[in-house]
Amino acid sequence: MRILLVEDDALLGDGIRAGLELDAYAVDWVRNGEQALHALAGHSYEACILDLGLPGKDGVAVLKETRRAGDRTPVLVLTARDTREDKIGGLDAGADDYLTKPFDLGELQARLRALIRRASGSARPVLEHRGVVLDPSTKRVTADGCEVMLSAREYALLHDLLSHPNHIRSRAQLEESLYAWGDETGSNTVEVYIHHLRKKLGADFIRTVRGLGYQLGGEG
Amino acid sequence: MAGTASLRWRLLAAVSVAVLLLWLLTAWFSYTKAQHEAEELMDGNLAQTGRLLLAITQDNEDDLGELAGRLATVRGAADNVYEPPLEFQLCLGDGTILARSIGAPDLPVLGVPGYSDILRKDGSWRVLNVVSGDGRHRVQVSQSIGLRDRAALEVAGQTVLPLAIITPVLLLLIYVSVVKALDPLNRLARDVASRSADNLAALSREDVPNEVGPLVAAINRLLLRVARALDNERRFTSDAAHELRTPLAAIKVQTQVARLSRDAAQTTRALGQIESGVDRATRLVEQLLRLARLDPLNVLPNPQPLDLLPLVEGTLANVLAANPALTQTVRHELPQSAPRVFGDADLLGIALRNLIDNAIRYTPAGSTIVIRQEDEEGGRVCLSVQDDGPGVPDELIARLGERFVRGRDALAEGSGLGLAIVSRIMELHGGHFSARNLATGGFAARLCGLVRADRDAAPAGA
Repeated sequence: MRILLVEDDALLGDGIRAGLELDAYAVDWVRNGEQALHALAGHSYEACILDLGLPGKDGVAVLKETRRAGDRTPVLVLTARDTREDKIGGLDAGADDYLTKPFDLGELQARLRALIRRASGSARPVLEHRGVVLDPSTKRVTADGCEVMLSAREYALLHDLLSHPNHIRSRAQLEESLYAWGDETGSNTVEVYIHHLRKKLGADFIRTVRGLGYQLGGEG
Repeated sequence: MAGTASLRWRLLAAVSVAVLLLWLLTAWFSYTKAQHEAEELMDGNLAQTGRLLLAITQDNEDDLGELAGRLATVRGAADNVYEPPLEFQLCLGDGTILARSIGAPDLPVLGVPGYSDILRKDGSWRVLNVVSGDGRHRVQVSQSIGLRDRAALEVAGQTVLPLAIITPVLLLLIYVSVVKALDPLNRLARDVASRSADNLAALSREDVPNEVGPLVAAINRLLLRVARALDNERRFTSDAAHELRTPLAAIKVQTQVARLSRDAAQTTRALGQIESGVDRATRLVEQLLRLARLDPLNVLPNPQPLDLLPLVEGTLANVLAANPALTQTVRHELPQSAPRVFGDADLLGIALRNLIDNAIRYTPAGSTIVIRQEDEEGGRVCLSVQDDGPGVPDELIARLGERFVRGRDALAEGSGLGLAIVSRIMELHGGHFSARNLATGGFAARLCGLVRADRDAAPAGA
């Protein structure tokens, strides 16, 4: 679950990144509008957190431009302005949700989860497959009712696979979802985490599609 | 309502006094004139009667005994004030009386021909003596002056009477007109009085008399200025509150990270970030307060001649002390003979400090920042802070002095108020802040228009 954070303020950006990483998100943090457009064009993100008060090209301009380019990444807007006009302006420019500064980290995380859930076309707050239930709000995973302990990366990988139940996810896609810029990635780390997940959830829970990538195992 | 300040009562008093004075003058003039005319008329009457009686006397010298009796029977009503009775004595040239009216006074008949007033204890008389051409007959006609005066007074009184009736009506009309004419002023006053404090809309110019027009226009201009100032104030307050939200949001998020994190190193780091956040919010508040203190000033509170060299050196020392790990070189190139300028040492120090801080904030490690003194036209002096950094985008340069406008890609956090404060300080010094990118690369920010206060020059205005 990779998130783009667009925030010019060093302290706030740092805090949000740290807070989201606690929730096992991979966070790319850029500090101005141009970099944001560049990042959105080059990668696929589960969601984008966008501060409207950016120097240079401001948040609304970024939003309009990405939407014009056909980008459908869910966008949560952060704003210091709390008049109705500001909120309406942000939403009309293509934002999916907004938060007014200062905000609660827990609320930011919850809104982000809701955004990602809606974007995946699911109204259910938990992800489920073959008795394995992942609850993004508590970050708990259970298999047939018993809690399964997962590391942050394992959790993120499982979340990605459960979010795309009928898709084959390539190794590159999974890596991109798992790691932000600058994260150290080994040559076979995805394989390592898949291996761990199979050990914890059952060998046939994740299927290898030779030459293409990985997919959730069939029902039954 | 009444009092010297009331336009209505002043107008009323002035007009009424003028009208009353004029009325008195007119009345007196009419009265005396009417009296005089009445006298003339009665004199004419006296002369006509005298000549008539003389002709009758000449014609009927022997038959005059009956005349007095006959005339007595046709005498007019004695109580008609306009007909004061005429008395006569008809005589021969030597004074022998041929006939006289019944009420004729016992006056000497051989008086000088013509009019005369004869004042006696038993009554005063207006007398006309007429003598025939051959001197053989004389006629004396007389009228009681008391009765004549009564008649004249009556005439004069009747003339003045309409004036006396018209005057109160005139005063009433004046009162109504004045009140009516001042009505637009009252409406204006009610309009202003009924406004709430935040209604700064322009006053209506409709129905406003020409004389009050300039006042209304001036008030409207004032209202506009007040509205603008208030608007600025509100926008500034709102901007300031919003600017504070970002550091507050950072502090809040970092606090929550510190609480949620199970990693001691991360917690420590978040706590450090909270501290920086509080420092930043504090700096922002300090700068807001500084601007708020500078805003209401029109002139420098306490301008003094001050030496530029110690000012620059002192500021530089402060900068270096506050940035022990400075990666740029900061130095000055002021000569030992640097001039003195008029100004406030504290404020100029703050302005210079802000420029140097900005240069440090926006230039990469290894840059050089140089403070210079430049001479300007008109004997003015300028301090410049030049760097060899990346400069500022051209579209941003014109807006640099505005509040909460920041440069892009700041390598450190700024409040967006530093240059607004610099601009304000320079305004108070009668100068201005200017900034431009250098052709050779880098950026120059300048404190322009400082007034020289050289040792040998007479300190102007001190």
